[in-house]
Amino acid sequence: MNKLVSSFTAAPLPQGAVARVSLAAPVARLVLRARGDLAALNAALGVTLPSVVGHRAGAGEIEVLCLGPDEWMLHLPPGQVGAVSASCAALMGSHPHSLVDVSGREVTLEIDGPRAAELLTLGCARDVEAIPVGQGRRTAFDNVTVILWRDGPAAFRLDVWNSFAPHVAGLLETGCRELAAEAA
Amino acid sequence: MKSCRVPGRGRVDASRPVTFTFDGRRYGGVAGDTVASALLANGVHLMGRSFKYHRPRGPVSAGSEEPNALVGTRRGPGRFEPNTRATVQEIWDGLEVTSQNRFPSLSFDLGAVNDAGYMLFSAGFYYKTFMWPRGFWDKVYEPFIRRAAGLGASPTEEDPDSYASRNLHCDVLIVGAGPAGLAAARAAAVEGLRVVLVDENAEAGGTLLSEPHLQIDGRPVWDWLASELSVLKALGVRIMTRTTAIGYYHQNMVGLVEKLTDHLPALPADTPRERLWRVRAGWVVLAQGAIEKPLVFNGNDRPGVMLAGAAQTYLNRYGVRVGDRPVVLTSHDSAWFAAFDLQGAGARVQAIVDTRPSVREDLLHEARALGIPVKLGHTATASSGRLRVKSLRVNPVQGGRVGAPVTIACDAVLMSGGWTPSLHLFSHTQGKLAWDEEQTTFLPAETREDCVIAGAGRGLWGVQAALEDGAARGRGVAAALGKDSTARAPRVQGDRTGTGITQIELPTDLNAGRAKAFVDYQNDVTAKDLRLAVREGMHSIEHVKRYTTNGMATDQGKLSNINGLNIAADALGRPQPQVGLTTFRPPYTPTTFGALANYHRGDHFELTRKTPIDAWAEAQGAAFEPVGQWRRAWYFPRPGEDMEAAVRRECAAVRGSVGIFDASTLGKIEVVGPDAVTFMERMYTNPWAKLGVGRCRYGLLLGDDGFIRDDGVIGRLAPDRFHVTTTTGGAARVLNMMEDYLQTEWPDLNVWLTSTTEQWSTVALNGPNAAKLLAPLVEGVDLTEEAFPHMSCAECTVAGLPARLFRVSFTGEIGFEVNVPSPMAMQLWERLWQEGQRYGITAYGTETMHVLRAEKGYIIVGQDTDGTVTPYDAGMGWAVGKSKPDFVGKRGLARPDLVAKNRRHLVGLLTQDGSRLEEGAQIVFDPDQPIPMTMVGHVTSSYHSEAVGQPIALALVEGGQDRMGQTVHIPMPDRTIAATITGTVFVDPENTRLKI
Repeated sequence: MNKLVSSFTAAPLPQGAVARVSLAAPVARLVLRARGDLAALNAALGVTLPSVVGHRAGAGEIEVLCLGPDEWMLHLPPGQVGAVSASCAALMGSHPHSLVDVSGREVTLEIDGPRAAELLTLGCARDVEAIPVGQGRRTAFDNVTVILWRDGPAAFRLDVWNSFAPHVAGLLETGCRELAAEAA
Repeated sequence: MKSCRVPGRGRVDASRPVTFTFDGRRYGGVAGDTVASALLANGVHLMGRSFKYHRPRGPVSAGSEEPNALVGTRRGPGRFEPNTRATVQEIWDGLEVTSQNRFPSLSFDLGAVNDAGYMLFSAGFYYKTFMWPRGFWDKVYEPFIRRAAGLGASPTEEDPDSYASRNLHCDVLIVGAGPAGLAAARAAAVEGLRVVLVDENAEAGGTLLSEPHLQIDGRPVWDWLASELSVLKALGVRIMTRTTAIGYYHQNMVGLVEKLTDHLPALPADTPRERLWRVRAGWVVLAQGAIEKPLVFNGNDRPGVMLAGAAQTYLNRYGVRVGDRPVVLTSHDSAWFAAFDLQGAGARVQAIVDTRPSVREDLLHEARALGIPVKLGHTATASSGRLRVKSLRVNPVQGGRVGAPVTIACDAVLMSGGWTPSLHLFSHTQGKLAWDEEQTTFLPAETREDCVIAGAGRGLWGVQAALEDGAARGRGVAAALGKDSTARAPRVQGDRTGTGITQIELPTDLNAGRAKAFVDYQNDVTAKDLRLAVREGMHSIEHVKRYTTNGMATDQGKLSNINGLNIAADALGRPQPQVGLTTFRPPYTPTTFGALANYHRGDHFELTRKTPIDAWAEAQGAAFEPVGQWRRAWYFPRPGEDMEAAVRRECAAVRGSVGIFDASTLGKIEVVGPDAVTFMERMYTNPWAKLGVGRCRYGLLLGDDGFIRDDGVIGRLAPDRFHVTTTTGGAARVLNMMEDYLQTEWPDLNVWLTSTTEQWSTVALNGPNAAKLLAPLVEGVDLTEEAFPHMSCAECTVAGLPARLFRVSFTGEIGFEVNVPSPMAMQLWERLWQEGQRYGITAYGTETMHVLRAEKGYIIVGQDTDGTVTPYDAGMGWAVGKSKPDFVGKRGLARPDLVAKNRRHLVGLLTQDGSRLEEGAQIVFDPDQPIPMTMVGHVTSSYHSEAVGQPIALALVEGGQDRMGQTVHIPMPDRTIAATITGTVFVDPENTRLKI
């Protein structure tokens, strides 16, 4: 079996006392587009799709973030993609939708540490502090489109397309050093 | 060296000496000093030369409004900054300061001959003096002006410092940490509000730092200030000093520049020099205070002539007495207190000269008590002293008549023409100003932003008034944010309030036409210049400003604008509001390019996207070219090969055996849903309904104007699923355009778009051996002509990897594009590279790709098209589904201009002398016509072609498709080249090479 090995190989990711950045383990990613009554899709996916943009839901190992009125990002274990795709495909006639595998499109950077939120202000124009824990946003980091997941007060994930990841990681590294010097 | 430091005065730390150099000479100061305060403490007033006349100048202010004392500062290699305000720059051990605009030295400057010739340099002199003879402009005038213009020397070395940037969100941003700002912060600092208080100075306090005699709530003001600041911090207020609000932008976004290291003797690691903050605030409180106005009189610019408030600041904040025998010259009560303070610090004030015939009794009483002579109803008509003022000539004024002069010997002239509310940031909001007749100044009126002004910034005078207004404004914004604040201003004792009158240039008994009465110190603009501008027809302040350059220096007229307006209004005989005030623009004070660029320099200058194959190409020594944000392998030179040789070899390899090409940057969009085919029918010119699953087709995308926007091969993977490819540069644009149509025009369609550009990496194999190489690696598809003909696609396995395989050709050879998930791309590439060795597989870059496609007449959108080319112009009418009811651009294509004869058509060109044409070269029909010739098109692509045996070109030529075989001419600088019009397909027009 071919594993999804990330092609993103930035220099060692920054480790600082106040903020850390690490590359998350590979995960399968599906973009779901649908509208109308979602009950059948909820059943097929085994998770209730959140209807408010920015809200998240999870069930078992599947995690879903609402990105738009008819758009969701799903993260799930690579082994489950086949089953999920098949059960959704069976609904195409009765519940038109689009399910596209983008597992190879992007990587996830994990950002944590006491000043993680401040680190993100280097590139995020939106109010990072105001994103509730347990929600997510599609936003921009230093002009790069990213999906920002807030997992805890000082724990974030940043989904970035492969070719943008070195640029984003580069600024995060600069920021980690800057914040560490500030804290010293 | 004489010390002017007053023991026991000021907030500087006398126990911490600091040594720095000025023009190579060592000077001592103390911690807390600015360059200006330290030099003044050493008795040095002369700090610079003026811009135009090179007149000796000293600091006129004690803050960021300083127009005169501009210096160069240096901290080792690369760290040189010109035009630093000596009144702001803090000193540290080893700081190197140099004066500017002087040669050979500050005290003896050859450029000062301009001063003697000042009659030549009056307003608009450059419009008049340099008019003729015409030939003198290039050789004489311009070089002279370029050499003379500009202050300071531009740095020539690379800046080794780093710069930073952050975003900050808050509920209340307060600009200015003087009494109004402090009180506003205290009132707004209620539970749940994020409050930020910024100040450009090294410490918060504003005017409180210069008024130590005050008592607030019964405590000495500096004690109160220290405890108030700790209370604010405890309440969660973020206080940022050395931080200038440089600009106020839309919707309460305010730009701040924080200086982090310019005051430090040693640079800490990983610390940027400056940080740009983009603040988005719910409400903004502008508490910027007021700036003192100079008085305009003959000789008001000599070193030693400064604002009275500045002298007070130097004394009370820095412990420096700027003169032992000062004269105070004023039209406002505030300068009287400067006189009292200096007298109290051991100076002998020679006189208080007030232009007003009468002043408040308590002031007169205090002056008498201190033994200071007073001259009311007087004017100043001249000063003397070359490098430092020596005397002031004053005359009584009665009934408009200037009486006999008296000369008062002095070593400083402390002037005050009253105070101007600082309206810069308010003005950035496009806020309306209201003229206040009583104060003879503009005050802030309405603004669209959620912004309020507090304190002296709206014409209130006195610390008590500022505190009360600040508190009220703070409560107001808290209420606007839904919070209840009960904060009240503290009580002030010893507050020095006062009033004054506004003066134009002071009356004189001397020839006003020869007076050097400066309005704009930095640009050397005098009152006479302003009046001349009005006489010569400039009737709007905007014209007066540009004609005289008043207010156009880097200080943006902080001292000069209002005096300039009052004088212009007087000359015009019109009230000031009818003459108008010039617009203030960001930044408030000069800002480094470093702060604006911040992180975007060096490796991080610009985003560079790389494919998964990029590292392999780099290891192979590829040359790269930028395509959109991507960098792509351009060609792969072998040792000793130049570009031409490498491309020739790569082309031959593809036509001869097999080449491998990284096409991963192609845009990809997955179009999915039951209405996918309907969507494709409407979006692209081509018909899609009959395209079978497993087949692909070249698609052409137009704008609604009918012109070609993008193209690409599109495969149908399922009845309801298309794999769309776009050009590399067009990927994002095409997706946006499609989404736009879907959301606004066809929301009824059940079809959705997902970008898969980076999901799939694309490896292209082209050449007669491509199928032979690939076939053994493919599972699920037979790569035969019958099972998988040209323009087929399939989901299958290639080299054990899940793949989408397309049989397409952009070269005219047998071609495949293998798409695999990006993380697997390198694995695929290496396998193909390894298996391809037996066929002499050759990696080729974008240049070879361009040559091969041009030989086949395949267009590149954006190179062979320029946004004005229709499918018919490009000879691609075959791609237009004429029987389709509609598609984007169908109506546009029917416009009269688009169906007109003689449009420019894409054709081939072969030069008659076998030379290669230049891309972009213009084409004419008749080379003998007079210049300017009628140009009938241009060369869009041009390459050497081994396959053709001579260079080939594509060109847009008027009516080209009807001129096959005719000769056109391409005039070049050295000769005119003749070329024959041909079809666009140069190689294998029957497409026999596409067959397996």
